[in-house]
Amino acid sequence: MSTREEVLRHLESVGYVQPALHKQTQAPYPDAIDHTLWRTYTRSVHDVGGEADVPIQYEEKQEEQWELNTFATCECLAWRGVWNAEERRRRQNVDIGQTAYLGLPYYGRWLMTAARILVDKQYATLTELVNKIDEVKKRHEHKKSSR
Amino acid sequence: MSEHDHKPAPMVDEVSDFEILEMAVRELAIEKGLFSAEDHRIWTEYVHTLGPTPAARLVAKAWLDPEYKKLAVADGVAASKAVGVDWVNSPPTKFGTPSDYCNLRVLEDTPTLKHVVVCTLCSCYPRPILGQSPEWYRTPNYRRRLVRWPRQVLSEFGLQLPPEVQIRVADSNQKTRYIVLPVRPAGTEGWTEDQLTEIVTRDCLIGVAVPKPGVKSNIKLPVHKAVHPVQHGHGH
Amino acid sequence: MSTKSHHDRNHHASIATGIGDPQCFKGKGGKPKFKEGDAVRIKNLPDIFYTRCQVYTRGAVGRVTKLVYESPAAEDEAWDNTEKPEWFYSVAFKQKDLWPEYSDTFSNDTVETEFCERWLEKP
Repeated sequence: MSTREEVLRHLESVGYVQPALHKQTQAPYPDAIDHTLWRTYTRSVHDVGGEADVPIQYEEKQEEQWELNTFATCECLAWRGVWNAEERRRRQNVDIGQTAYLGLPYYGRWLMTAARILVDKQYATLTELVNKIDEVKKRHEHKKSSR
Repeated sequence: MSEHDHKPAPMVDEVSDFEILEMAVRELAIEKGLFSAEDHRIWTEYVHTLGPTPAARLVAKAWLDPEYKKLAVADGVAASKAVGVDWVNSPPTKFGTPSDYCNLRVLEDTPTLKHVVVCTLCSCYPRPILGQSPEWYRTPNYRRRLVRWPRQVLSEFGLQLPPEVQIRVADSNQKTRYIVLPVRPAGTEGWTEDQLTEIVTRDCLIGVAVPKPGVKSNIKLPVHKAVHPVQHGHGH
Repeated sequence: MSTKSHHDRNHHASIATGIGDPQCFKGKGGKPKFKEGDAVRIKNLPDIFYTRCQVYTRGAVGRVTKLVYESPAAEDEAWDNTEKPEWFYSVAFKQKDLWPEYSDTFSNDTVETEFCERWLEKP
């Protein structure tokens, strides 16, 4: 896929994650936010106990290697004092926002949060993180093409 | 919102965005000296040692020894030592695992009381004594419903309980982690600790199943396969 | 904001090594306000940014089953502030007191969960 094709596909896919609400909710006027809506928008999005839902098929899941690696990274960051588990939970289960909270895989949220803490606590600049992601990507593309 | 069939392309031979970001974060954290590659390897090896057997053995011991049962119910962390789990010193930190803390409560079922565990806020789970949580335990669906419709959820796991049995849902929301100590089933008279340990499955310890002679595995559920599954005893 | 310049990465390990967490906060929560068996109501404090006090418990009355440990409140610890530990209580509620539609047939059913002291008041 070319970069331009990727851009257009992205813009379309963002539309899919718009909240499916029954009202227009695009940056409303302040007087449209009553007490109930205020609470809805400021709540901790991890707090799902008692929300209505229908039965689903529960499943077991085999663990991906990156998932275990991510878990170990997050625990090592806490072991060495970069954060504590409560700070991790706050960032990955609440700060992340409802769309990403429900839209990303379980360990996807852990991973995003581990990336973010490096930048937020100024252990790495965003520039360094971006360059590292790009480097890893290129390394793998190179491996693939040399196979 | 309209339905869409925006299925991502299969990535079996590809490296996923998660895998790229995971490597980048790990490498950057190590380069910056936040933890070492050795720390990461040690933690991964520690996780490989975990599973439900110590918790199952704790239950079997409690069934056989009333004094040990008293200890287990009063102080789960102290009782864990008899099954080889030191909540403080077994993890590589020597101050407990960051995400599980060091406070285990053993919830004792009776013929009129059945416990079942959930974490409505995330997926708190006693990893040091029970291993990694199953995927369904982490779903918003289980977390939304168990606390309000426990009998319906339990019936979906095949467990129907009469009205005279009180269901107590333990919502693991802070620093306590829970395992359920189920009632010892009939038909296990004279069994050894090893025999009893075998029928105390992970699902029994979460509380969505009860032990039965002859049943040594979890409730059968579909398994979602990994694209690049965890390789045991293999560096990364 | 905690930045690298003044973030002491060793502060938790220095109090918890060989002791554990929440054990490392033992004796730091002051005198507990409630005891086992007390009826308590869950306060309806603002829930902006972060809490581990579930909305479904707010305003409900339950009973303290156990004083469990002392620890900083999640609201503080989530920003790495551990200066003011509090007592934590395990509280059991009747399902009927939480969910109006809960069947009378199963009126014995309960939920048990934990709160730090700031969330509790006498009913």
